[in-house]
Amino acid sequence: MGDKKDVWQGTLALMVLKTLQALGPLHGYGIARRIEQTSGDLLAVNYGTLYPALLKLEQEGYISSEWGTSDNNRKAKYYKLTRAGRKQLGKEAREWEQTTAILARFLAPGKESA
Amino acid sequence: MRPLRALFLRLAALFRKDRHEREVAAEMASHLAMHIEDNLSAGMSAEEARRQALIKLGGLQQTKELIRERRGLPMLEILLQDLRYGARMLAKNPGFTLVATLTLALGIAVNATMFSLVSAFLLRRPSARDPEHVVVVTSINPASGFQADTSPLSAPNYLAWREASQVFADTAAADEYRTVNLASQGLTAAAAQPEALRSAAVSPTYFSVLGVSPQLGRTFAEGEDQPGRDHVVILSHELWERHFGSDVSLIDRTIRLNRENYTVVGVMPKNFQLLGFTPQLWTPLVFNLADQTAAARKDRSLYLFARLKPGVTLDQARAEIVTLARRAQEDFPETEKGWGAAVRTLPEFLIYGFGIRQGLGVMMATVGFVLMIACANVAGLLLTRSARRRKELAIRLALGAGSFRIIRQLLSENLLMAFLGGGLGLLLANWGIHFVRARLTFNAAITAVQISLDSNVLLFTLVVSMACALLCGFAPALEASRTDINTHLKDESRAASPSRSQSRLRTVMVTGEVALALFLLIGTGLLIRGIFLIEHQNLGFQAERLLTAAVTLDTAHYKDAHQQSAFVRDILPRLQRLPGAQTVAVSSDLPATGPGSVTLQVKGQPDLPANQKPTTLDIVVTADYFQTAGIPMLHGRPFTDTDTAATPRVVLVNQEFVRRNLKDQEPLGKQIRLDVAGAPPEWSEIVGVVGNVKTYSEATTDDPTAYEFFLQRPVPSFSLMVRTNADPDGLASALRNAVAQADVELPLDRLMSMRSVIDRQKGGDVLFTRILGCFAILALILSAIGIYGLIAYSVGQRTHEIGIRLALGANRQDVLRMVLREGLKMTAIGGTVGLAMSLPLPKLFDALFFGLHFSEVRLFFIVPLAILSVAMLATYIPARRATRVDPMVALRYE
Repeated sequence: MGDKKDVWQGTLALMVLKTLQALGPLHGYGIARRIEQTSGDLLAVNYGTLYPALLKLEQEGYISSEWGTSDNNRKAKYYKLTRAGRKQLGKEAREWEQTTAILARFLAPGKESA
Repeated sequence: MRPLRALFLRLAALFRKDRHEREVAAEMASHLAMHIEDNLSAGMSAEEARRQALIKLGGLQQTKELIRERRGLPMLEILLQDLRYGARMLAKNPGFTLVATLTLALGIAVNATMFSLVSAFLLRRPSARDPEHVVVVTSINPASGFQADTSPLSAPNYLAWREASQVFADTAAADEYRTVNLASQGLTAAAAQPEALRSAAVSPTYFSVLGVSPQLGRTFAEGEDQPGRDHVVILSHELWERHFGSDVSLIDRTIRLNRENYTVVGVMPKNFQLLGFTPQLWTPLVFNLADQTAAARKDRSLYLFARLKPGVTLDQARAEIVTLARRAQEDFPETEKGWGAAVRTLPEFLIYGFGIRQGLGVMMATVGFVLMIACANVAGLLLTRSARRRKELAIRLALGAGSFRIIRQLLSENLLMAFLGGGLGLLLANWGIHFVRARLTFNAAITAVQISLDSNVLLFTLVVSMACALLCGFAPALEASRTDINTHLKDESRAASPSRSQSRLRTVMVTGEVALALFLLIGTGLLIRGIFLIEHQNLGFQAERLLTAAVTLDTAHYKDAHQQSAFVRDILPRLQRLPGAQTVAVSSDLPATGPGSVTLQVKGQPDLPANQKPTTLDIVVTADYFQTAGIPMLHGRPFTDTDTAATPRVVLVNQEFVRRNLKDQEPLGKQIRLDVAGAPPEWSEIVGVVGNVKTYSEATTDDPTAYEFFLQRPVPSFSLMVRTNADPDGLASALRNAVAQADVELPLDRLMSMRSVIDRQKGGDVLFTRILGCFAILALILSAIGIYGLIAYSVGQRTHEIGIRLALGANRQDVLRMVLREGLKMTAIGGTVGLAMSLPLPKLFDALFFGLHFSEVRLFFIVPLAILSVAMLATYIPARRATRVDPMVALRYE
C-alpha cells in the first residue's frame, strides 16, 4: 500500500453520504471508486471495509438500498440518501468544518509570536 | 433513536440469516463482476483482472465475515449457539441431566418457598402512604421480658408528648388490643350469635396519620373523640364481608356494640392491614379526666403513631422523644423510674413487633446451606463428567478455541441446567407455598398475611439459579479449560492418577461438603430436639378433658366489680350442672398461655426502685381452679367460700415464687402487695403453695406466679373452664346454651378444648419443626449422596494406580488401609471445621428463641459419627473393589 493512507474509519461514513449526495443513487463499487478518485488516489480504500459501513448507515436509516441495473446491464444493489441521511450529512459536515478550522488555527505557523 | 433502531434491526437479523447471506453473496458477485470488467478494459488478462479485484476487496470471505458481524449481534449469536450446544449435551446425557436438575430443583424449591415468607413478612410495605415517614413511639419496660422495648405508652405520657413534641406533623394514639361484643344481627350465618371481636380504639387522626382512605364512607371526623359523639365505628373489610354480607347500604346504619348503638361511618379496604394488628373494627379513642391522673400512668396501653414533619429525620425524632421520656422519669419517679422510650419507623416497628425476623433468618440460613450442599453435589457431578469430556475439550482447544470460550461454553451449559432446575424448583415451590400457607393458620395476624409466589420470589429464584450455575460450574469449567491438549489427545495416554490440581479441587469439595453437612445437621438437630422437648414437657397441669371459652364482660351491662362477681357466682353453678362436668372454674388466664406480669412488695423486705423490684405473673382464679386445671396443691389451703370481698385478702403462690421471691423462706403467712394497674394496692397473705405451671406451653421457663381470688379482685375478662369426664368438645354447645341462659347477649370467644388452645398457641413451632425436619432429611440425603459420590469417584480414579501397586507386590490390606486413611483424613478435616462452626449454635439459638433452651451434647457425637460412616463406606466399597481387581485388568482400566 506504500505511502497511501488507509481511510480513516470515522470519516468513511461522511464520505459515503457526501458521494451519494453528489452523484445520486450508486452501487458499492461505484462509491468505492468515487472516494478513491476524489481523494486523488491519496487514499487507498480497501473496498471490503466499505460494505459494513454501508450496512451500518442503512441500519441507522441514513441510506436505503434496492436492487437495480447498472449502465452495463448488470444487476447491482443501489444505495441512496434518505431524508434523515441528508440532515445527518449537513450536521456532520458542519462539525467536520469546525474541527478542521480549529485544528488549522493550532497548526498555522508563527501566529503567537507575531 | 438511531442506535436503538440499528439495535432492533440487528436483533431482527438474527432470525433471517439465510436471506441475508444470499443477498450479501449477490452483492459481492456484482461488485467483483464490475471491478473485473473495469480491469479487463484497462488491459489486464482475465486471470490478473480477477486477482486484482479480489486483492482490492480485501478477500471475499473476510469481507463477508465483516458484514456478518455488523449484520447481527455476534455476542448474542455465540450465546445462542452455546445454549443450543448445551441443550444438545444435556439431552445426550439424560441420566446426568435428571440427577443434576432434580438436585438443583430441590435446593432452589426450598429456598424459594422460604423466601416467599420473607417476601410476605419482611419485604411487603405496610398499607400506609409513605410509611417511612410514619413513626411509632413505644415505651421501654425496665423489667426485661419478651420485646420489652415495644411496650405501649400510658395516656398521660401520650398527651404530654403530643403537646410537647416539635417533630411531628400529626399524631394519633391507638389502643390496638380491645375486645368488643357485637350483638347478633344481620343476615349472614356468621351473624346468628353474638360475637367477641378484636377492636382498636384510635384517635380520629389515626387514619390520616397513616394516610389511608376508606373503601366506603369516611374515617373519623375531628371531635368524634368527645363523649356523646363517639358512638361511631369503622369496619374492617373482612368483618363487613363475613358478618354483613358486603352490604353497601350499611353506611350510616346502626349496629350494637357492647349493648350500645354505634353508627357505621366507614369500611376500610381489604389491603389495609398492619402486620401484627388485626382489629376487626375501629372506634374513637376517648380521653377523660381519669386519664390525666397519676394512677393512669400505670395503665400502659397506647401506641403513638405520628407522621414526621417534612425534613425531620428519625434521629431527630428519637432524640426529642428520649428527652421527653427522661423528663417524665424526673417528674414522676414513682411510676416512670427506668422507663425509656423507643421510636421506630412504621415498617420497622411492625416487623420487629411481629418478632418473625430471627426465625425467618434461621430458616433462610438453613435453606441456604441446603442449596450449597446441592450445588456442591452438582459440582461434583460436573467434575466427574468433565473428566470424561476431557478428550472432547482437548479437540476443541486444538482446533483453536480459546480457554475463555471453553469456560463460557461450559458455563452456558450450567446456566441452562440451573434454569431447568430453577423452573422445576418454582413448580415445587408453588406446591411448597401452598403447603406452608395451608398450615400457617395458628393466629389471625399470620393468616391475614398473603403468602404467594410474587415477583420478589421470582426474581430471587432467577438470581439464585444464576448463582447456582456459577457456584457449581465455575471450578469444573476452569479446571476443564486448563486441559492439556497433548496428554489427552493421545489415545494411549493414561494418567496413573488424576492430575494434582484436580484431586486438590476434589479434596476441597469433599472437605467443604462434610463441614457444611455436619453444621447443618447439628443445627437442625438442635432445633428439632429443642422443640421436641417442649412438645413433650410436663406443663404442670392436666390439659386433657378440659373445655374452655373466653368471656369479656362489657362495661355497659357489668358496670363494676360487684356485677362482675355476680355474673361469675351465677355462671359457675350453671356450668357445674352441664352433663359430664366434674369441676368448673373461672380464671383470668388459662394455664400456660403467658399471663401478665406485675411487680410486688414483700412485707419486711426493703423497698426497691421500680426497675429492681421482684416480679410475678398474676392470675385471678375462682376456688376450684387448681382442682379443675389439675395443678397440685403443695402446702396450705386453697381459696374457700369463707374468703369474700369483705374478709382479708389472700393469695396462693407457686414454688418458683417461693424460691425466687421469698428465697425459700416459709411462705405461709407472709404478706405481699401486688402492683396491679387500676386496682388499689392491698396487702395479701399467702395461704397456700401450688405446683409450677409453664409460663408458655411452647417455652421451658417457670416463672414466679401469684394467684388472686376472683371474688376478692374481680376482672372483666376471663376464661371459663370445665373439667369433663369425656370428650370436652361434645360439651361445647351445652356450654354455649348455659352462658346464653345467663346472658343472651354475651358472646363466647375461642370455645375449644385446652388441648386445642395449646396446639394453636404453638402452631408455629409444630410447623417450624416439620419444615426443619424436611430440610434436615433433604440435607442428609443430599450430603450423603454427594460425599459418597465424590469420594467413591476419586477412589475409583485410582484403580489404575492401585493396579500398579498390586502388580509391584503391594499387600492388598496395606493398599486398602492407605486409601481408607486418606478418606479418613479428608473427613476428619471437614468434620473438625464443621464441629467448630456448630459449637456456638446452642448459645445462638438460646438468644434467638425466647424462653427456649437448646442443648443436646449427644448430637455433637451422633452426627459426626453418622457422617464418618458414610464417608468410610464411600471409601471402603470402591477401594475394596479396586483391590479385588486383577492387576492386569486394573492396569488397562481407564
